[in-house]
Amino acid sequence: MKIFASLARGSLVAYTALFFAFIYIPLVLIAVYSFNANPINMMTWSGFTTDWYAQVLGYKTAITGDAFYVESTDQLVQAVFNSLKIAASTTLIATVFGTSIAIALYHFDFFGRRFYRVVLFMPMLMPDIVLGIALLIFFVNSGINLGLKTIIIGQCTFLTSYVFIVVSARLSGMDRTLEHASADLGANEWTTFRKVVFPQLLPGILGGALLAFIISMDDLVITYFIAGVDVTTLPMFIFAMLRRGIKPEINAIAVMMLSFSFVIASLGLYLRSRQK
Amino acid sequence: MRESIVRMEKAAKTFATPEGQTITALGGIDLDVRRNEFLTLLGPSGCGKTTLLQAISGFVELDSGRILIDGEDMTDRPPYRRPVNTVFQNYALFPHMSVGENTGYALEVAGIGRQDRARRVAEALRMVGLEGLEGRKPRQLSGGQQQRVALARAIIARPKLLLLDEPLSALDKNLRQAMQIELKTLQHELGISFIFVTHDQQEALTMSDRVAVLSGGRIQQLDTPRAIYDKPRNSFVATFVGASNLFEGEAAAGRLVTTDGIAISHGEQGSTGAATALIRPEQFFLADPGQAGPILDVDLEQIVFVGSTFELFGRTATGRRVIAEIPAMRRGLVGEIEQSRRARLSYDPSAVHLIPAEAA
Repeated sequence: MKIFASLARGSLVAYTALFFAFIYIPLVLIAVYSFNANPINMMTWSGFTTDWYAQVLGYKTAITGDAFYVESTDQLVQAVFNSLKIAASTTLIATVFGTSIAIALYHFDFFGRRFYRVVLFMPMLMPDIVLGIALLIFFVNSGINLGLKTIIIGQCTFLTSYVFIVVSARLSGMDRTLEHASADLGANEWTTFRKVVFPQLLPGILGGALLAFIISMDDLVITYFIAGVDVTTLPMFIFAMLRRGIKPEINAIAVMMLSFSFVIASLGLYLRSRQK
Repeated sequence: MRESIVRMEKAAKTFATPEGQTITALGGIDLDVRRNEFLTLLGPSGCGKTTLLQAISGFVELDSGRILIDGEDMTDRPPYRRPVNTVFQNYALFPHMSVGENTGYALEVAGIGRQDRARRVAEALRMVGLEGLEGRKPRQLSGGQQQRVALARAIIARPKLLLLDEPLSALDKNLRQAMQIELKTLQHELGISFIFVTHDQQEALTMSDRVAVLSGGRIQQLDTPRAIYDKPRNSFVATFVGASNLFEGEAAAGRLVTTDGIAISHGEQGSTGAATALIRPEQFFLADPGQAGPILDVDLEQIVFVGSTFELFGRTATGRRVIAEIPAMRRGLVGEIEQSRRARLSYDPSAVHLIPAEAA
């Protein structure tokens, strides 16, 4: 019996280790190879270098003509800027919309409430490519020029759903009698919202906003359809680079994006745990 | 007679169940709560006591009828404009605020300055025995302490009326008894009326100036604890408050005879006709051999020792259940009946209460 128990324990440990290895080894490899000096075959280690980072950031120009793939650092910087601009705007808009819808659906009982809820889930469930095409057709038909504006509007359609779901989850965990207590102690609806509901909701709102920001920074498929010809976001830029072969600079960009996401996600987790 | 602080007139409220039925939570209730009174609403769950409380605090809108507080019509006023505060069953403390902020909430909302507020928060916390804990968060307190914060928060704005919705039900027995006495003391100190909701009849009897026994959305009886216990107006009140032995039958002068032929002597000479006689378990005592006077012979099924008393569970020859409570100091006698499994129960006819049939 003792052997079985330790065997079961051992295999559980092994399974857990394999599981995490499966998820994280590719990420670790990217990080390792981003420091690989071999410019031709990046799977073969030939020495440590930070050249790729330096190149991506524009501190160093090409070593050899062939290895140089970031044609212009300006383009990369422009793409990052576009992505940040879009993510900031969509986060702001989607957070305001998603939060207000969540509060309205939680607070007021009106005809079609359940229907609204389902409708809000839809954009998340819809395949990206379908949503992308639908948005493209819509924008072209309504004569709106494709560009930053259309990307922002398009991303808001599904990011609002994400914020809505995160904030709704937080709301449903809230104790309704707290609002009663507040009203009982003389606070009207607005004061109750300001002093009791909102402070408790804040971690949920921030969590939803961070999620929206990351998804917006990361979105390729939908953005690709509605970006038009003049605007390039960071994922689009990387995708374009990839089409000409996987080159070391991409590893460096990937690691930087990863670190950025990691910081945002940690911030989100920290905020959640602090307010619980 | 003291002036009334709350007056309800024909307050009615029905709820629809998901199955399509309607439940009468308040069936046209008239109620006067006196100034500086400790009134308890007592009843089983679903009797309408919480709805009645929420109608006063404003969280339940009446279908018809009206509510006056201190002479002012409150029927259409929102909860935040009523001079009433509530201690909620689950305390409902704001988790993101400190004890001090929780306690001072009503004052902050009313726009009272920081210094004044701090002074009154300290005073309120002192009254409930939590001085110096302003900086703690509710989750850092024990259940009993949270209860006290809820109390301090509800009394700080000096409401005309304090409503308490089963506030002690989550506390353990010893703490509950201590809090019962403290609440009573606090009510005297504050000099305001308390309306206390409970399903615990012991709690109701211990604390109240008057008790309203509710059932089916109606007040069955509104009286002092003693009157509720000694002279219940109907058999619902008699069985809900305390243990009871009820004998339905035909009353004549000094005697009531049940359908199964048991004769109960009673002291209420005037009563005749169909009625129910009530004998509380503690009114029975073990008869000495050859004792005259009213006697009830029972076969004992169980004898339970509960500390200060023995509880005897028996049946009459006709199979009617009888409960009697014998003081534990009469151990010797109990030893005898344990052997014989039979008891002769005697009682004082003047302690028997008759409930007229139309009320039962």
